Amino acid sequence: MSWAVGALLGLSALAGLLVVLSRDPRRQVYALCANGLVLSLLFFALQAPDVALSEIAIGTVVTPLLFLVTLAAAAMNRARR
Amino acid sequence: MNTPARILLLAIALVVLAPAAASLILAMPAFGHPLSHYGMAVNALAPHLRNVSNMVAAVNFDIRGIDTLGEECMLLAAVTGTVMLLRGHRGEGMGEHAGGVPGRKQAPRSDATVLLCRFMATALFLFGIYMVLHGTVTPGGGFQGGVIAASSFMLLYLGEGYAAWRRIVRGPVLDVLEGSGALAYALAAALPLAGGYAALQNVLPLGTWKDLFSGGLMVAVNYAVAFAVIGGFGMLLLEFMEETRAPENDPVPDEENE
Repeated sequence: MSWAVGALLGLSALAGLLVVLSRDPRRQVYALCANGLVLSLLFFALQAPDVALSEIAIGTVVTPLLFLVTLAAAAMNRARR
Repeated sequence: MNTPARILLLAIALVVLAPAAASLILAMPAFGHPLSHYGMAVNALAPHLRNVSNMVAAVNFDIRGIDTLGEECMLLAAVTGTVMLLRGHRGEGMGEHAGGVPGRKQAPRSDATVLLCRFMATALFLFGIYMVLHGTVTPGGGFQGGVIAASSFMLLYLGEGYAAWRRIVRGPVLDVLEGSGALAYALAAALPLAGGYAALQNVLPLGTWKDLFSGGLMVAVNYAVAFAVIGGFGMLLLEFMEETRAPENDPVPDEENE
């Protein structure tokens, strides 16, 4: 199991780096999505299924979705003015 | 701050922090090594004292259940604040169809998307309910199951489109769900007081270990959290999605433009 934990730790560092390095907000949201997915797999590998479920629901689905909706609303509002 | 200065700052920070971080990481206990006496005590005692097999639920809904009541109120306050902020600016009117960014192409929805979303939304909602029902038995519980059930609403939007989504996902229903969930939790905390017990004291019959309805008062509290979370997150998604609907015949004038 420890190799899986090590690999997932490396992947989560990579995914977090991608979130920081992507400059386009929409791509950043998708990177955040991927980061949430990797983190939830990491929590699962660390035998914390409760936290993994919360992370996959909040960090991978709801938060990126709210960001996407906010970006769309801002773009529509800009186009209206 | 220019780039060389930033890199210099990074280098200084690395020189100072990297040895400290490395020494801390090397001094950490191995994975799976039992460290917390509290955790070990809960694992040893809760199955016999509360007849539940999900120790996280035992901690959240019973042993430190008052903390969860505070978190419940936080969720209620956060969702209420979001709704007031967004709806106060936009008004309560309902649009006929979704808006779109001018100039961005909108591909028509394929039959495969509609079919898949119908299946997946139903399956996801049922999975959320399943997770709520098994909150005291298997990993998950009211919060996780509630968020999963609420996120299935977004598949309805994706599959059925704006108008059908607004017909299915009703704001007042979500309001009632959220409010009644929070109220039920507060009652679960307050009613034992009336009987001369401590707040949230587990006065109900505990049931049998590994049974669906094991845990006594924890079962009720778990359902209360699920109601509040489905209502709260459903409302949050609804209010945010409403920000993107077509703005025509909006009853509330835009005050900032006057």
